[in-house]
Amino acid sequence: MTIHLSILLWLPAAAGLLGMLAPRALGRWIAVAGAALTFAYTVVLIADFDTGARGLQYVTDETWIAELGIHYKLGVDGLNLMLVGLTGLLFLASFVWLALTDWERPGQMVFFFGLAESSVLGALLAQDLALFVLFFDLMLVPFFFLTGIWGPPATRIAAITKLFIYTLVGSLLMLTAAIALGVLSAQQGGGDLTFVLSDLARVRLSEGTQQWIFLCFAAAFLVKMPAFPLHGWMPDGYRNMPLPVLAVFSGVLSKVAAYGFLRVVTPLLPDASVHFQELMMLLALASILYGSAMAFTTTDVRLVLGYSSVAQLGFIVLGIFSLQGDGAQGAIFQAVNHGLVVAPAFVVVAALALRAGGSEDVRDMGGLAFRAPVLAAMFLIVTLATLAMPGSANFVGEFLILFGAFNSKIAIAIVAFTGVALASVYALRLFIRSMHNRVGADAVSRELTLREGVVLVPLVAVVLFFAVYPQLALDRSERAATQSVRVAGALAHPEETRIAQEQPTP
Amino acid sequence: MKHEAPNIDWAGLSPVIALLGGAIVVLLAGLLRSRLVRERAVPFLAIVAFGASLGLGIWQWGEDAQVFIAKGSQATLAFDELTLMVTFIVAVAGIATVLLSWRALAPREAAHGEFYALLLTSAAGMVAMAGAQNLVTLFLGLELLSVPLYVLCATEMRRERSLESGLKYLIIGSTGSAVFLYGLALIYGATGGTDLREIATGAAGEAGGDVLLLTGIGLTIVGLGFKASVAPFHQWTPDGYEGAPTPVTAFMAVATKAAAFGAMLRLLDVGLIDAQPDWAPLLAILATITIVVGNVGALGQSSLKRLLAWSSVAQAGYLLAGVVVASSLGVSATVFYLAVYTMMNLAAFAVIVARERETPWGDDIASVAGIGVSRPALAWPLTISMLSLAGLPATAGFIGKFYLIDAAVDGGYTWLGIVIVIGSMISLAYYLRVVAAMWMRAEVAAVSATAQPRLAGADPEAERPQWELYLVAIAAGAATIFFGVIPSPLFDLATAAGRSLGLL
Amino acid sequence: MNINWYLAVSALVFCIGAAGVLVRRNPLVILLCLELMLNAANLALIAFSRMHGNGDGQVFAVIVMVVAACEVCIGLGIVVAMYRRRLPIDVDEMRELHG
Repeated sequence: MTIHLSILLWLPAAAGLLGMLAPRALGRWIAVAGAALTFAYTVVLIADFDTGARGLQYVTDETWIAELGIHYKLGVDGLNLMLVGLTGLLFLASFVWLALTDWERPGQMVFFFGLAESSVLGALLAQDLALFVLFFDLMLVPFFFLTGIWGPPATRIAAITKLFIYTLVGSLLMLTAAIALGVLSAQQGGGDLTFVLSDLARVRLSEGTQQWIFLCFAAAFLVKMPAFPLHGWMPDGYRNMPLPVLAVFSGVLSKVAAYGFLRVVTPLLPDASVHFQELMMLLALASILYGSAMAFTTTDVRLVLGYSSVAQLGFIVLGIFSLQGDGAQGAIFQAVNHGLVVAPAFVVVAALALRAGGSEDVRDMGGLAFRAPVLAAMFLIVTLATLAMPGSANFVGEFLILFGAFNSKIAIAIVAFTGVALASVYALRLFIRSMHNRVGADAVSRELTLREGVVLVPLVAVVLFFAVYPQLALDRSERAATQSVRVAGALAHPEETRIAQEQPTP
Repeated sequence: MKHEAPNIDWAGLSPVIALLGGAIVVLLAGLLRSRLVRERAVPFLAIVAFGASLGLGIWQWGEDAQVFIAKGSQATLAFDELTLMVTFIVAVAGIATVLLSWRALAPREAAHGEFYALLLTSAAGMVAMAGAQNLVTLFLGLELLSVPLYVLCATEMRRERSLESGLKYLIIGSTGSAVFLYGLALIYGATGGTDLREIATGAAGEAGGDVLLLTGIGLTIVGLGFKASVAPFHQWTPDGYEGAPTPVTAFMAVATKAAAFGAMLRLLDVGLIDAQPDWAPLLAILATITIVVGNVGALGQSSLKRLLAWSSVAQAGYLLAGVVVASSLGVSATVFYLAVYTMMNLAAFAVIVARERETPWGDDIASVAGIGVSRPALAWPLTISMLSLAGLPATAGFIGKFYLIDAAVDGGYTWLGIVIVIGSMISLAYYLRVVAAMWMRAEVAAVSATAQPRLAGADPEAERPQWELYLVAIAAGAATIFFGVIPSPLFDLATAAGRSLGLL
Repeated sequence: MNINWYLAVSALVFCIGAAGVLVRRNPLVILLCLELMLNAANLALIAFSRMHGNGDGQVFAVIVMVVAACEVCIGLGIVVAMYRRRLPIDVDEMRELHG
């Protein structure tokens, strides 16, 4: 029992609150300091993590609402460790970005942003289903304000309301499903009502019950990702978010949904996971193909990144529902990688827009590499990582995912391979259209400014670091990822049960 | 024949005595000619009376007092934990209402003494209704609650809307009472008793077969549905809410609902518990209709009071889910949500009253536009209230809905849990509109020449800082967050109330 | 005499009252119809009281009469206040509140 995770969890919100109450000039730097401290905490956590140990570490477990069996239980294991680190890093980068830009009402902005970081961390750290649902729903609230107040005035309210209701439709269904999961498990298992995940995993509900609960959870997660065909909120939402906000929204929030599948769905609902395995893999495939095709045809740079996220998250879902240890591990790793890649990409978008006379349309750009070799180099690294160039960490992630998918459903895996090729098409198109080609009408080629560099360079450095040393993440996530899909995998592939049984059991 | 006077447990009755005694004192003090006494001392005395009732209720907590026991029969009024919880809710709502109406137009028009005395009398009726163990007491409580409220709605006598709202509320409310009474008469006929436990004994063998009893139950539910604004008996709600002086609307919204649901729980879960298989499906269908009608009705509203009226219809639907399951968990969940509902609505109404006095827009949504910048101390409570009403996490509304869904699933009504969340989804569309107006739109500049005439309560005196409105708004908003993060104290109270009816 | 006759009369009176409330426009007549509904309940209460042979129903009926008087008082008071405001005494023309 330690207090470390509680400190980590509440530090950003507390710093944000202080930042709002502090004088105008000081406030934003208090919030940045809070985010930096949070990130430092996560780095220490990753370094200190015991790779060999089983189960959760740094567990905090208090009874929160005894009558409802809800615990304030936090913990890290291989599933969430690297995502917590990713959250710390991306929020720090965006905090610095916010602090270096002038905004109206900066105090409120850092408060909402700090609240967003705390709720994302809460969703990642929660080891109680009710607590997870609470944070999962809560993390959308600050983004309502962040977009609604600081987005483009003409369209922001309609866009964010649409996004909010769209994504909460899934989340609220998940609320009922989660309650039903707890209550029915208690009725079936005969124990007291509890929502602690490890207790829930002991009871296996009947298959019919599992199935409707699975569908509610899947709705929540697939909408949040977003996956085809539930991505309707995405274009409007992406167009209207301020870029620093969008960087974390796209980089972190969608990963929480993917993480939710591994944390909640596959361990607690194994029968339903097997039952819907093919459906989920087909949806993943559709997301990959649709996302890639749209990313290739759209001209709005934000939407190129948005649709590429749809495709990337398709890969992640594919990995999870291969129900293989490799696939799940690859999914977690790819979630981290995509977050690391998409955030600097949005920094680059901001830099490009600045140089293209404020336009975020790729047709107005072009020739920007002319006098900006450093910016171009940075963007190239990000682009190559996005298309999963061999040697990049994304390559390792996609390789693991496809490896898992091959072992599971070979036909789907073969089609998914085309997705890898398509990624290089849209990523290179974006790079070439913006950096090379003929110079755009209002485009001015300028080198990376110090402000942009402060945010961009460290992020790219981390991307490079993972390319060189992916083992940092892979070692830590292997055991937990395998464990998460073990039961469902054994059901899906009975012929491999023998192998699965050799895996250590808790 | 020697007749013995019924045994009265004065200590147990004390919360009601405080309210009624306070009403008399306030009425008399209002006759004094000094302006200071009428405008300062009278509201203060009303707050003291509500506070005394609250304090005596806390003192009586756990005593399970049974008052008015005539020889050889049962107590007609029970001050168990359920009644006391309703007392707390009513007293808190009462204190807030007095603060909100302190400098409002309504008490000045109706004379201060009368206004606050009516408020206290209505509160006493609510407590009596929630504690009634006997059909006669139940009906008396209902009327004692309603009749002063009809008058309070019409107190702004020079404003046509106020009178109109009073008359409409009177006609529809009395119709509801008459239907309710007829239902009670039929239940009496079918079971031969007016005491709830006699009824339970009488109804035990007959459930399902007795047309008289079933008709009685149906009419009674309809009658209570009028009071709790359950669709399709909700039509008076938007008009009544909009026309009444806003502080009175606040009181009507939260306290009446608490009393009606308290009575509904006791009548159905004690007297008619054996007929549960008959009334539960009916009630579940009513809940569904109410949730849908309330939420859809609220969508297009631009008046905040009307919006809250429709939302209160929807919230009544959520609350019904706790009644349907007829378990002690359901009672606890209902009581918990009633308490939460009180806090979030009081925060919202306090902000509406404040903006009614500060702007010429009345209760239109334009009155709160842009207050995120100009009046953060009002914007935060209203934001918290809206998010909590929508059931978003970290607010008490989330925990309350969680509890209700938990009770519904536990009682085998999982589909009702899904209806509740679907209702919440629809509700986001209008709650978020208010939030968006506060934070994301610019303040609507008042064009004095063409603006509407100043509406309720907007008067020169309003230029003075109105700290009491801020106090109510911030306290209620803070409580909403507090019980969203640390709900255990409220849970303890609600669980005790749930156990007091002796259900499983 | 069979109790059903009393109940039939009471139900008839109740329905007349309810129909009156729904159909009539003059608030005075509506108040009158409300009285009919309450008195129908009174009739039923007294009939049941007689049937069960206990006094509860009669006590109830007496209390209902008092309450009914209160309601009418308030109703007439509001009608008079509206008349003073020179409002049309016709519920269909009360159109200030709608939405």
